[in-house]
Amino acid sequence: MMWLPILLALRMPEGESDLVARLQKRDPQALAELYDRYGRLAFSLILRVVRDAGIAEDLVQETFLRVWNRVQAFEAGKGSIGPWLLAVARNRAIDYLRSTGGRERNALDLEESVHPALASNIEQDLLNSDRIRRVKAAMDKLSPNQRQAIELAYFEGLSQSEMAERMGQPLGTVKTWVRTALRSLRDELGTAVPA
Amino acid sequence: MIHPELQDHYELFALGLADEPERSEIREHLNRGCEVCMAEMRKAIGLAALVGAAAEPAAPSPRLRRRILASIGYERRGFGWLLVAAAVALAACFAAVYFSGRENQYAEEATALREQLRRQAIDLTRLNEAFAILAGPETTVTTFGAGPAPPKGKVFVNPSQGVLLIASNLPPAPAGKAYEMWMIPRSGNPAPAGVFQSQADGTAMHIQRGTVDMAATGAVAVTLENEAGAPQPTSTPLIVAPIAGR
Repeated sequence: MMWLPILLALRMPEGESDLVARLQKRDPQALAELYDRYGRLAFSLILRVVRDAGIAEDLVQETFLRVWNRVQAFEAGKGSIGPWLLAVARNRAIDYLRSTGGRERNALDLEESVHPALASNIEQDLLNSDRIRRVKAAMDKLSPNQRQAIELAYFEGLSQSEMAERMGQPLGTVKTWVRTALRSLRDELGTAVPA
Repeated sequence: MIHPELQDHYELFALGLADEPERSEIREHLNRGCEVCMAEMRKAIGLAALVGAAAEPAAPSPRLRRRILASIGYERRGFGWLLVAAAVALAACFAAVYFSGRENQYAEEATALREQLRRQAIDLTRLNEAFAILAGPETTVTTFGAGPAPPKGKVFVNPSQGVLLIASNLPPAPAGKAYEMWMIPRSGNPAPAGVFQSQADGTAMHIQRGTVDMAATGAVAVTLENEAGAPQPTSTPLIVAPIAGR
């Protein structure tokens, strides 16, 4: 049952244009609806990164405030707000990890990757009730090293050099794992990720 | 650099892993609105979103929603607190009624116990009095009721303790009536010696404390009288027990 809110969140593109329009008109109720749709998903993602519920809630709040403040740049016709919001959430969490871990912050990359104009329309016709299972199945198909590399990159925000150090492997090997893993995921989930 | 060469780098860029010079190349394309790169980046961000969505599900506290909405100056003037207050008030009412009921119940039980204790104390006193009469060396005993139907029993008379009457076959008195015991002198009018009721099984025990002039008393009798008793007998005696004079 824990998956249900997530599945519902990812399956609800209906009325999203209207929701975005209302957000852009600064309708607070629209933010409430956005939270109801994506709040748990964002929290789950951030918690996975920071491993602290209290900090995760603070970062979820920051995430929704950032979306609220930047939604004017979002083009509803070109993407869906969910993946953008998740990207913002992930980047807030990674940025937090880096700031507390004394690691170098490449905020520029993070910031660019979450520009509203780049929002994917991943939900609109592809995320369905078995989407999560497909993602997990695709992750399970990766070799342990590939999967670890992807998780270190996504959930811990490590650079490939940092991954190499963490995993005790040559940088070239890690880069190969990362590329191979991303290709594999793209192949497995490719039909789910439209332009 | 042309787009096919960047193919593997969009996802790396989306994850913050892109190296130079591809990172700058993609950034430049995006900054000038390159439709190909925008489309590829959307796919890459979509793929990353899928990875993120695979995180173990967890639920934030209910307060978070209010916090977020409050942070943009929006606080629903809803009925939340009102409902909570109403629920608390309702619970308090239920508690008051419940405990009031329990208190009444306890009070009734205490009253019943006190009444039971009072009756037991009376019974004990009567038994002590009866025992004192029975154990008295000067006590005389008279048996009455020889036939099968009339009341049967004994009368114990002690000159210093009083009279003890123990009877059976004495049916409960009708409503508003009671049995009254009399001390019948050898001369003069009967003296009332207390009213009593018999039990449902026809047994009865009555005690009249006080000194008894054995020489002057000829008998002990019982009549059926009004519940309050009568100064003189108004009905035929049901029991007459002669007392042996001294």
